[in-house]
Amino acid sequence: MKRSRVKAVITDVHFWIPVIVLVLGAGLLLLLR
Amino acid sequence: MIMPAERSTGSSDHSLHRLGVICGLAAGAGLGAAEAPTKLVNTGLSPFLISLGMVAGVFVARWTVPMVLKGSDYVWADLRQKPHLVVWALIAGMIWAVANTLTVFAIRDVGLSVAFPLWNTNSLVGLFWGWLLFRELREAGPRQWAKVLGGAAAIVAGACLTACATSPQAGGATRSAALGIAAALGAGLLWGTMYIPYRKAYISGMNPLSFVTVFTFAELGTVLALALAFEGGVRNLTSALSSAQPGLFWLFLGGFCWVLGDLYQQYAAKYIGIGRGIPLSNTNQLWGLAWGVLVFGEFSLLDGAARILVVAGSLVMIGGAIAISFAEAQKGEQASWRSAMQRECERYGLDPGQVASALAGDDPLASGTSRRRWWEYVVAAGAVGLFVWLALRAGRPQIPFDGAWAVGLTAISALALVGSGVVLYRRTRFS
Repeated sequence: MKRSRVKAVITDVHFWIPVIVLVLGAGLLLLLR
Repeated sequence: MIMPAERSTGSSDHSLHRLGVICGLAAGAGLGAAEAPTKLVNTGLSPFLISLGMVAGVFVARWTVPMVLKGSDYVWADLRQKPHLVVWALIAGMIWAVANTLTVFAIRDVGLSVAFPLWNTNSLVGLFWGWLLFRELREAGPRQWAKVLGGAAAIVAGACLTACATSPQAGGATRSAALGIAAALGAGLLWGTMYIPYRKAYISGMNPLSFVTVFTFAELGTVLALALAFEGGVRNLTSALSSAQPGLFWLFLGGFCWVLGDLYQQYAAKYIGIGRGIPLSNTNQLWGLAWGVLVFGEFSLLDGAARILVVAGSLVMIGGAIAISFAEAQKGEQASWRSAMQRECERYGLDPGQVASALAGDDPLASGTSRRRWWEYVVAAGAVGLFVWLALRAGRPQIPFDGAWAVGLTAISALALVGSGVVLYRRTRFS
């Protein structure tokens, strides 16, 4: 993937919302284990 | 430049809305039918093993169905054109797997009757993200808002009523009720957020068949990693899988039905958005209930009050689905959808004409990618062979089973899925 597209992805709020929710979910799983 | 979506007539918009509603309802039938085979699995298997078996079936079907329908050249061309969406498809697959595992803990800690209503709010979460990030329901009048929000809330409420009526009130052990509630809410938040990548892909003009091909890698990988972690390593998992072999066919069959339902859900998200498409596909609870009551005799286990709750919950869900079916996006809202699409085109350098064309149900990628490879037939034959091999080793479950109703419901579900597929093919060629 071109560098400009990578930059477009990591500066896109649509990317970070699912990532943050995924990290929180994985953290909760660790807590429940 | 006049884009195809701008050129679209009122009747074309109307037919796309109708198509999206048909796909949403077909998704409910497919996802509901997926629940039936899993009931045939002998009890005693861990939830992680059941999840892994089903997702393995999903993986096999998800590679085969898109390849059979569009060919691998088409899928690769689509992915090459929008490589940034591969990241979102992988995130979505991981989110699904983590959310599914959280439901296991939620049921364990607070029981299904408490956990289900909490994670079933995922469609409302999706509706919120659709409004916030993709301009769904913007410029929509109060009547459209009332139909969509009221319909979605009714489907959630109806599903909760039926879940409360049909799940054992004793619930799970209350080892940690707070953590169980957090797990259920977390699953709802995760699944609701998973629809962000869905909608993102479709307003960028990606074909749902290409999206699910990538999604399934992350889904299987994450489920496998979680099964290894929770089952105690490779040796334990291998041994558990080998003892679970008689039930694997039913799990694979459930996975196959799930893939069909999920594909229709993706098309619904593409053509009517996540705010309308996801609540409609959540009517799978009605189908799951029909299988449980008519085929597996679960109604006989319920008392009078619970039966009334089940009927009331089903009627509320049907009412919600009807309300959403009539909530067609008007011109102002469709202009908002186009501005969300325009954002993606500007940010990622996509061709607005091509994306609008894909969103209007055309298939700009179809020309030049129709060649089929010999090995595609080998992969398809291998997938069918695997299902046959597992079927020959399947165990006969010793549970109440009404064969006549099973045949009837299978026929109705198949009719709904095939009929919707024909409509989808005629209008969009599976675009």
